[in-house]
Amino acid sequence: MLLRSLLMGLTALLLAMACAAQALDDPAEEARAQALMRELRCVACENEPISQSSAAIAEDMRARVRVMVSEGASDDEVRDWFESRYGEFVLFRPSSKGVDGVILWGGPFGLLLIGGLIVFVLARRRKAGAEPVAPEDV
Amino acid sequence: MIELGHLAAFLALAASLAQGIFGLTGARALSGRAAHVAFGVMLLSFLTLVVAFAESDFSLALAANNSHTLKPMIYKIAGAWGNHEGSMALWCLVTLGYGAAGALWMRTGRDLFEARALGVQGLLASGALAYLLFASSPYLRLDPAPLQGAGLNPILQDPALAFHPPMLYLGYVGYSFVFALAAAGLMDGRIDRVWAKEARRWALAAFIPLTLGIALGSYWAYYELGWGGWWFWDPVENASLMPWLIGAALMHSVVVTEKRGSFAAWTALLAVLAFLFSVMGAFLVRSGILTSVHAFAVDPKRGMLLLAGLLVYGGFALGLFALRAPKLDGGKPWEMFSREGALVANNVVLVVAALTVLLGTLFPLIAEAAGRTISVGEPYFRLTFVPMLALLLLILPVVQVWSWGKADLSGLWKWAAGGVGLVAVFLLLGVGLWDIPLGAAFGLALGVWLVFGAVWELKRRAVTPGRVFRLPLRVWGMTLAHMGLGVFIIGAVVETTQRYEATLALPVGGTGTVAGWTITLKEVYAIEGPNWYADRAELTARKDGAMAELAPTKRYYPAARMPTTETAIHKTGMGDLYIALGDRRDVGGEDRWVLRVYLNPLIDLVYLGVLLMGLGALFSLWPRRRRTADAS
Repeated sequence: MLLRSLLMGLTALLLAMACAAQALDDPAEEARAQALMRELRCVACENEPISQSSAAIAEDMRARVRVMVSEGASDDEVRDWFESRYGEFVLFRPSSKGVDGVILWGGPFGLLLIGGLIVFVLARRRKAGAEPVAPEDV
Repeated sequence: MIELGHLAAFLALAASLAQGIFGLTGARALSGRAAHVAFGVMLLSFLTLVVAFAESDFSLALAANNSHTLKPMIYKIAGAWGNHEGSMALWCLVTLGYGAAGALWMRTGRDLFEARALGVQGLLASGALAYLLFASSPYLRLDPAPLQGAGLNPILQDPALAFHPPMLYLGYVGYSFVFALAAAGLMDGRIDRVWAKEARRWALAAFIPLTLGIALGSYWAYYELGWGGWWFWDPVENASLMPWLIGAALMHSVVVTEKRGSFAAWTALLAVLAFLFSVMGAFLVRSGILTSVHAFAVDPKRGMLLLAGLLVYGGFALGLFALRAPKLDGGKPWEMFSREGALVANNVVLVVAALTVLLGTLFPLIAEAAGRTISVGEPYFRLTFVPMLALLLLILPVVQVWSWGKADLSGLWKWAAGGVGLVAVFLLLGVGLWDIPLGAAFGLALGVWLVFGAVWELKRRAVTPGRVFRLPLRVWGMTLAHMGLGVFIIGAVVETTQRYEATLALPVGGTGTVAGWTITLKEVYAIEGPNWYADRAELTARKDGAMAELAPTKRYYPAARMPTTETAIHKTGMGDLYIALGDRRDVGGEDRWVLRVYLNPLIDLVYLGVLLMGLGALFSLWPRRRRTADAS
């Protein structure tokens, strides 16, 4: 409901659009471009995605994302293009390939699994004879 | 004056050392007295700094570097802690403050234990004071004194940010006393119900300001940075989130120790970790090893000293833990499906979530050491941290009704059916009617599920509606905090997935439309403040008969040669219409102003949810009402 009205708003906006940011005609494409802009890092700023930087280079990068999306490039193709040009640094979504990628992306779930296993083993070694006691205040 | 303050800080160091020695040798009363003296003289010392800032005494090097005569008084005062040295002085003051408060309010009836806790706190304070006096002294003079100061970083000149650091420090440093209690309990060999009752109060006392401090920082980032977002997964934000998560785990675990005597070793470990993560946060921010928009006072040498302190504290506490933990009593027996079991799940997920944030924050550093520069940002945390917590929260309303020891599982199928049904309805509505991503539909279901669970819990415990206000405050605290989580999630999901942003470039008198709002730029004019000048735009925004006047401003601070955005926010009741003034541009010979327009739906729920969590913790901390004979 909300998104619908927002999309209609976007269409209206396109008519009134001036120069600052040439949003794409297709709202779905524009949404995809904006999502990509939020995960590409501005190379001239400190820790900011290009979606929220006023640096000139960020503006060029935003324009490039829109061009590529409008030409039908997939999300991965856009990411790859920026990576080949500016290096891995530009991706806020780091690669999951290689040993370090597995550690980074698999680590949290691995830890969760290990934590669960430890708890399971410890819980099985506990004393028997538990009695239910209703919590009185918490 | 400043020399007096400098001397007072040395006296505070001497008194805190006395507090440490008396405490560790078991002299409870003497250690407590030393704690009060140390806090008193440090307060005096800190006040001399504040007065120097208030009076713009630029013979104080710190004031000369960080203040300015034209600043409003509140920012002159806040400037005293808006820099590295001053904030370390605040850290020392708060550490001593917790020691003094502990000396007054600890009630365990165990003299030796309390003495040792004060002793450890005294040593923690001594370490901080030594670092302050010998590695980052705020008391240094400048001769000749400059006529004008360099000014406080303009983005720090904001009411929310004036109180963000003290709040955050009350939280971070609050865990120092929890750490001291854990160390003393381990020395004592007793991490039992009496210990847990005491530790729980201090863990809550630290959690409340930490929560509010993070919320203040986030709200500031929302309206001051001018980019419409409220959480950026910035390393400095992550540094405060990690102790918060550990603190949340501790708050739950300590209750098991208090009520059942179980989890003693684990609770002690969390009590130690909460403070270690706080110090690590300070180290990450202060050393400047992370690239961050917020980091001020970057100095590798100080970073190394903080790291050394972290290793000493950590080595001491973890060594003590390794020595004593195996001897701790195990408490009452419990089965997997019980309140204890549910709280184990809570703790595993919260701790792994904190470690995930740590991994994501440190990974770029590790990669850089290996010769690669990579970035870890929002997508990473969205795909790891968020689903982990979502799974935990999904079971919360179900396990909340479970008993200690052994749960009655006969009603479980109703809860499972209810939960699955609710999620299914939201997924269908999300796809069919609202046209939102599946993850967002699931998130909304989760938020509603949590709010429902909290209301249900109140109803269940009160038995009859009339008794709901006679429930113990701790029950109210727990349910309010869990309700706050639900409210927060609803706000966060809607705001993040349905946020709408657009850029307009309007000439004066021009009109543009964004998402049904017709925005007219009436005029742009220059205004001047005490220490800044600015361009201020006057806008009207209209939608379906509603009208709002907005005046976004772009300030320029000449002392610091820096611009800031002052966004204009119109609350529509369903969210914010948020406008930031951008650059002036020449478009085909016509003069235009760039406006960044955001629609942030339900953003208030994000902050309302966090406030409810803080309020819940406050209710839980409130002293128990005297029981009447009939309420068993």
